[in-house]
Amino acid sequence: MKKLGLAVLSAVVAGVVAGCGAQGGSGGDSIKIGTQTYTEPKIVAEMYKALIEDRTELTAEIVPDLAASPVVINAMKENEIQMASILYSGEIFNGYFDIEQTKDRARVMEQAQAGFDEHYGFTWFDGYGFENTYGFTVRKDVAEQYGLETVSDLAEAAGEMRLGVDTTWLERDNDGYGAFKEFYGYEFGETFPMEISLVYEAVANDEVDVVLAYTTDPRLKEFDLKVLKDDKQFFPPYDGSAVVRNDVLESHPELKEVVELLVGQIDTETMTALNFEVDVNKRDVAEVAKEFLQEKGLLQ
Amino acid sequence: MNDYWTFLLDRYPDVLRAAGEHLTISGIAVALGCLAAVPLGAYISGDRPGWVRTTVFGIANVFQTIPSLALLAVLIPLFGIGLRPAVFALFLYSLLPILRNTFAGFRSVDAGILEAARGMGYSGWQRLWTIQLPLAFPYIMSGIRVTTVYVISWTTLATLIGAGGLGQLIFSGLGVNKEELIFTGAAAAIALALAADLVLGKIEKAFKGGVVS
Repeated sequence: MKKLGLAVLSAVVAGVVAGCGAQGGSGGDSIKIGTQTYTEPKIVAEMYKALIEDRTELTAEIVPDLAASPVVINAMKENEIQMASILYSGEIFNGYFDIEQTKDRARVMEQAQAGFDEHYGFTWFDGYGFENTYGFTVRKDVAEQYGLETVSDLAEAAGEMRLGVDTTWLERDNDGYGAFKEFYGYEFGETFPMEISLVYEAVANDEVDVVLAYTTDPRLKEFDLKVLKDDKQFFPPYDGSAVVRNDVLESHPELKEVVELLVGQIDTETMTALNFEVDVNKRDVAEVAKEFLQEKGLLQ
Repeated sequence: MNDYWTFLLDRYPDVLRAAGEHLTISGIAVALGCLAAVPLGAYISGDRPGWVRTTVFGIANVFQTIPSLALLAVLIPLFGIGLRPAVFALFLYSLLPILRNTFAGFRSVDAGILEAARGMGYSGWQRLWTIQLPLAFPYIMSGIRVTTVYVISWTTLATLIGAGGLGQLIFSGLGVNKEELIFTGAAAAIALALAADLVLGKIEKAFKGGVVS
């Protein structure tokens, strides 16, 4: 029962609690890398931990399971953590500062880099080379039954379909359900917001017909699901980048080079494959991360 | 502050709906928990072989320690998504505290009183209804009260399995950087827990008055 209580509590106050575990202090010889709850940022955090400890005098500590990207950002702002292993460029649509509405991949990235530097004092590095965005996804048999290839194709059947989404999608302003209904001009019969790691299980068990998946999730492969093409381009780009506090980079200039080692090094296929090793093959996160670094010849 | 009122005015139907879902889930879970754990607690408090008690408490303990997300994942093939798995998971979590208090309550009844009742020709059921239950009642009730407050706070997890509730406000607020959502969800959950405790306290008093006098 403690676990459950703690889970709720930590979700609510994660921003405050994050990183207090060790000495509470910051900077110094140790850098804290925060991650969200799912696998992808955890793998990259392990990569950085290995790289930082391999190439610099710093030690790195991973602070896992911060409830969501805004919690990671707020924890960084409060200096409870100094680095985020992955934040996504589309995060700018969550109202951190005024932005110019665009879905251009490069433009969204530029806005994230300029905006978080100016308003938060973060260095938002160039992308790793992969995007993890939303994708409407169905079982292959459902796709065949209704002849589904694109999101527009869903229009006819959607009224009698059940949709599983992550806990936030209905609430999102720019790329959420409200905007979607207007943009594509249809809605689903029923919606079930739930934990993203459970939606795949739900669609595989025929509890929902469509899920709004994360496009690098290996369970798309595991459960043999089909992602429908976002033919009108509703979803904004979500390019993954490392983000570090400016003051930390100033006091440890050597860190910048280390962080840049992974820029442009992980494409969408690679990220999905790494996720697959952990989520489906149940391998250890640190081991998978290390293996990748060795293959790339990045460990000295 | 003004912004917050605008937000509330705009969103209160959602908040009310979430609070309604929250109460439904918690209420059913605790009611089922009472139905199962109170009779079971009474049963094992009697003269049973030691292994019965150990087994029952052991199982209730195990339920309590299964991490929530893992439990919910396991429940999908059995109960699907939405209300049912959420209620079932919370029901499992509610068993131990009710069981423990019921057991302690029945154990606290003086054996001498029961012996005297037996001597006066009371049947087993009569002893249960007229002596043991009233004397154990405060313990049972405090177990139910504690459990209800716990379950109401745990019900924020129902959103993980698509059952909605106030957790939906909290988790989506966390996900989209909207503090007013997190605050509203958390404050409403606290208010529900306090209100439920108050109501149960009143019920306890009313009953005690009725039974004891």
